[in-house]
Amino acid sequence: MGVMRIGHVSLRVMDMAAAVKHYENVLGLKTTQQDEHGNVYLKCWDEWDKYSLILTPSDRAGMNHVAYKVKREADLDVLQQRIEAYGIKTEMLAVGDLPATGRMLKFNLPSTHEMRLYATKECVGTGVGSINPDPWPDDLKGAGAHWLDHLLLMCELNPPAGINRVAENTKFMTEVLDFGLSEQVLVGPDGDIQAATWMFRTTTPHDIAFVGGATNGLHHISYFLDSWHDVLKAADVMAKTKTKIDVAPTRHGITRGETIYFFDPSGNRNETFAGLGYLAQPDRPVTTWDESHLGSAIFYHTGELVASFTEVYT
Amino acid sequence: MLYDNRPKVTVEIIQTGENYACATDENLLKGMLKLGRKGIPAGCVSGGCGVCRVHIVSGQVQLCGPVSRAHISCEDEAQGITLACRVTPVTAVRLEVSGRLIKPFLKGCANLADSASI
Repeated sequence: MGVMRIGHVSLRVMDMAAAVKHYENVLGLKTTQQDEHGNVYLKCWDEWDKYSLILTPSDRAGMNHVAYKVKREADLDVLQQRIEAYGIKTEMLAVGDLPATGRMLKFNLPSTHEMRLYATKECVGTGVGSINPDPWPDDLKGAGAHWLDHLLLMCELNPPAGINRVAENTKFMTEVLDFGLSEQVLVGPDGDIQAATWMFRTTTPHDIAFVGGATNGLHHISYFLDSWHDVLKAADVMAKTKTKIDVAPTRHGITRGETIYFFDPSGNRNETFAGLGYLAQPDRPVTTWDESHLGSAIFYHTGELVASFTEVYT
Repeated sequence: MLYDNRPKVTVEIIQTGENYACATDENLLKGMLKLGRKGIPAGCVSGGCGVCRVHIVSGQVQLCGPVSRAHISCEDEAQGITLACRVTPVTAVRLEVSGRLIKPFLKGCANLADSASI
């Protein structure tokens, strides 16, 4: 029972045509639906539900909400009670509030980010189908991303003022949504301030991550690729399309992911990554990184922090 | 860009006295990065993150893409405040770096560092 995986992200974009072009031609998603409000719905070829990304026209960048899929409709009712009992208000959105989607349980994380849970979304199948499938479809564009894998939310962290939304989110996700903690960064003079966490419901190191910053926001949404070679090819695609690369191909110490960071045309950060890291399990010892190893934790090869990586987000 | 013969105008950064030549078809941030020094934080370069906030004190600029209202309000815009990555110069420009750009920008300026150490 409970949360299975990330289901979709709703992003604000300032130029819809440019955004659709980016997610289709650079990432390789396909548009599956548009609605009367100008929202565009897209999915990756290896996903089976109707959409994993909603682009919303706006005068600013950033995230509207992130949604996770639960196994059964009844889970929504159980989780609603648990979330309310924890002291967080919820709202059950009716079937069809989003197209092709069942009712959604809407609430805000302690960091104010809007999260939704749902159990039902129209299944349209993967790009290769389910009967005697080929390993990949013939009509892939750009990086040909397999699926939306996770996202990283920036959460207000201000220890002198006693504010740590990273720790508050982590506690909520652990106690109420049964997420496991795979890795964490502990900082401060006594090494006891939880400044970043990586959490999972699947068997991969993270389905969501929280990192401390000056304000709450979206750091990135991340798409899965098969191999290190696919990461290189994705970087080639970005060079060809003059996509702004934030961090060229490298490896994270945390999660062991092989990665590239780049920006969509509204400045929302994207990641393409390969390497599922290790088998994440609730009883696996939590990996801890201390402040003196933070550089290697984030960029394993150089061991150096890049200011823009922690300070720039939407 | 030794043989870059595009039309250019001079952009002056008031706080540091630095000047750079900016082509009229490139954004102010791209030109600024050619100063080639530390402390010029290029963020998303797409108008979304708000890092490259500047105040256009004099001169004329042209918008080359949308600017996030989360970072530049209508009032800001009326006062000549915008994001350097989203405007190209039409005439010579004098500007001040603003907001989150101030601290790293001034810290990374060799001119100021030298004068401070004297």
